[in-house]
Amino acid sequence: MELLIWLIPLLPFIGFLLNVFVIRREREAGLVASGLVAAAFVVTLIAVAMLAGMPPEERRIVSTAWEWINTGSFRVPFAIMFDPLTAVMALLITGVGALIHVYSIGYMHGDPRVVRYFAYLNLFVTMMLFLVMANNLLLLFLGWEGVGLCSFLLIGFWFERKSASAAAVKAFVVNRIGDAAFILAMLAVFAYFGTLNFYGDGEGGQLGFLERVSDIAGLRIGPDWQPIFVSTAISFLLLIGATGKSAQFPLFVWLPDAMAGPTPVSALIHAATMVTGGVYLMARAEPLFVASFTTQGWVAWIGALTALLAGTAAMAQWDIKRVLAYSTVSQLGFMVAACGMGAYVAAIFHLLTHGIFKALLFLAAGSVIHGTHDTQDMRRMGGLKDAMPITFRTYVIGALALAGIVPFAGFWSKDEILAHAISHGQTPIFVILFLTSLLTAFYMGRQVALVFFGTQRDPSYHPHESPQVMTVPLVVLAVGATIGGAINLPVLHWLTDWLEPVLHEKAGEFNLWLALIATAGAVGMGYLGWWVYTTNAAKIKIGGKDPAYRYSGDIWEGMEEAWYFDRLYQRTVVAGFERLADFLARVFDPQGVDGLVMGVGRFFGGLANGVRALQTGYVRTYALVFTVGVLIVLGVMLWFAR
Amino acid sequence: MVPTSYYVLLSAILFTIGVLGVLLRRNAIVVFMSVELMLNAANLALVAFARERLAVEAQVLVFFVITVAAAEVAVGLALLVSIFRTKRTADVDEVSTLKG
Amino acid sequence: MDLILFLITAVIAITGAVAMLVSRNAVHSALFLLLNFAAISVMYLLLSAPFLFAIQLTVYAGAIMVLFLFVVMLLGAEKVEDAPDRIAWQQPLALLLGLALLVVSVVVGLGGATTPPPAGEALAQFSDPRSLGALLFTDYLLPFEVTGFILLIAVVGVVVLNQRGRKI
Repeated sequence: MELLIWLIPLLPFIGFLLNVFVIRREREAGLVASGLVAAAFVVTLIAVAMLAGMPPEERRIVSTAWEWINTGSFRVPFAIMFDPLTAVMALLITGVGALIHVYSIGYMHGDPRVVRYFAYLNLFVTMMLFLVMANNLLLLFLGWEGVGLCSFLLIGFWFERKSASAAAVKAFVVNRIGDAAFILAMLAVFAYFGTLNFYGDGEGGQLGFLERVSDIAGLRIGPDWQPIFVSTAISFLLLIGATGKSAQFPLFVWLPDAMAGPTPVSALIHAATMVTGGVYLMARAEPLFVASFTTQGWVAWIGALTALLAGTAAMAQWDIKRVLAYSTVSQLGFMVAACGMGAYVAAIFHLLTHGIFKALLFLAAGSVIHGTHDTQDMRRMGGLKDAMPITFRTYVIGALALAGIVPFAGFWSKDEILAHAISHGQTPIFVILFLTSLLTAFYMGRQVALVFFGTQRDPSYHPHESPQVMTVPLVVLAVGATIGGAINLPVLHWLTDWLEPVLHEKAGEFNLWLALIATAGAVGMGYLGWWVYTTNAAKIKIGGKDPAYRYSGDIWEGMEEAWYFDRLYQRTVVAGFERLADFLARVFDPQGVDGLVMGVGRFFGGLANGVRALQTGYVRTYALVFTVGVLIVLGVMLWFAR
Repeated sequence: MVPTSYYVLLSAILFTIGVLGVLLRRNAIVVFMSVELMLNAANLALVAFARERLAVEAQVLVFFVITVAAAEVAVGLALLVSIFRTKRTADVDEVSTLKG
Repeated sequence: MDLILFLITAVIAITGAVAMLVSRNAVHSALFLLLNFAAISVMYLLLSAPFLFAIQLTVYAGAIMVLFLFVVMLLGAEKVEDAPDRIAWQQPLALLLGLALLVVSVVVGLGGATTPPPAGEALAQFSDPRSLGALLFTDYLLPFEVTGFILLIAVVGVVVLNQRGRKI
């Protein structure tokens, strides 16, 4: 069993090594990469089955490969574990990952660097699996940084485009802010618990810090006039780390730009898996977060705020992928808000269903882009439903799931979050999330209308359906998006029971009224979105304004620009750094550093020039000096011989 | 018997004259002669001390010094001849190209 | 008696040395140096070192001075100091230093407590060249051989240095 769980991350890693060192041809690269990820999925399934065969309390396997770091009291084992929470994450990563790998074979066909693409993709899956399987914070951080690296590499995969490489750098740098907080959190955990392990190895020995959170109960640090709880400090640092990786306010700005990467990458990394890393981290560190009432409030409000901000931004986008990107940010906000309200199961549930239907939407959007010869502007689309029947149907399923309409997957998970909010008295959060879910339905209706209905507004291309290698994964994911909600139906609550050993949560009450109202609202808003953009289709011009712009004016522009956060950062942080860099480059470097360095050089040069005069070349002068030396030596000897 | 100190005094005077020769004269051969004078002065002092201590070993040492001085003079003069051939002079101040 | 002899010889030695230092002509210098060497050899006799007296005469006064004279005349370097001294400022300094050196070395030389010179049987045995020879070929055999080797190297060096037609 221990060997089996090691296989899960190692299989994609083998694929990575093969793609890097052995494989040179496109076809083999795709087959090997997809095959190994699919194999990892099968292994994960077997591992889950074996896990299910154990008594619920014992459902955690910890396996240590070797002592990774061992310096004095700082000991970190290279240990992975497999428990119910890891299991569902690993299933999502390998399952959706395998489908996206297969889809990539078709999507990336003909690209000159396909082998490299698959190598990156396999490395990403490896790192993501390490992230969710790590049994200590440091190994989790390895995966965390590993997926960040792959994200950087894949966003900038078409680095010939200036925008792509800029977006890659942006994603990397913004993530770094969160990572810094993560490292601080790690240091704090080590300082207060003496270990970075999540859990003990189950065979006696030291317990992990997640099992000993009560150690720091009531412990405070900081100045006397404003002490804070240690648990608050640690969990808040982790929260900042999560806002970077999961694209939450105020660090969400990198995700929309990350759409410069290939679309399957957007589906895998920037929708289904990597960006959910922050949510996973919060769920994993649930005891720490629950211990801090303060942090939980921040988590909930950051999540809700992000959901609303991104949801409004998604309404006004023209780029087919940016709509989905902002939608992803918004849905991640749902999950984070759920974590903040203590509804961890709901968050993970939404993470899973969202992973499936958002991957479906991205892949379908990729199919549209592929079929329209790299068109991404929705103003140039329209009427594609006849040319791309499979893509259209799967897209609609994904849109229904995202909008939260019975019986698609998104409905159940979103409803669980909303129900938890209302049953735990989090009314303001509930209102925001409910509003956001209505907006979600609206922009999905808008997008479907813009892309698939009406007539083609740009006749310069001939749309065509994508090849089977792309449509089959779409169909599979569409099935998942349809029935995915079944894993945690209100009456059966399988997922809640499955995660009970980790998250210790009981299934909540099903709120029938809420479900009815939410569904009605979603249907209504979805229809409204669809109706507005089909009836006004004639008014949409390529490069023109949105029909809704007339009624909302500048607000719409604000939404289109995501409330100017990019510009804010550009004018403050980026401009500040540019000033600083400018100062360093133009003033400090030439005058300070160079001055110092050149000054040292000049000083010794001058010194040498002075001393040079001593070397006259006249032997007699040297003899004279020599005599002086002899005299001094003799004098000293005389002095001491007295 | 003449006291050893008289010899040492003489030796010191001769040595100083040798030093002055090196410092003042420009003719390389005279400089060289001055060096020989210094060697002799040292030898003289050595022999004087040898007598005082009745140490024959010191005389052996002087013998070696004289022998090595002979070798040194041979090589040194050969060097002078080489320098003279290239520089056409025996003035030590002319041989001053190696300078800062 | 000894003292008178010593004083006369010392005056000759110093005169020779000073004359060597001041004479403009290198040949004269060499001849004055010869005089000095001869005086020193007499000193060796006075110091009961007859063997060194012989050596001094043959090697220094004989071989080395002949070599000097030979080179001076071969090169025609009797007068090379006709041009003005380029580092004339050094001359007073040199005289000053010489004086200082003299004072210091006199102080050093006379500083130690001097025992009266030994005499009699011990001195006679000390002055016997046989004891010196025995030492040379027993205790100091290796340095003696090395000296021979040094002389050989000097010979080879001189030949190599003055080889014509080949740049070294």
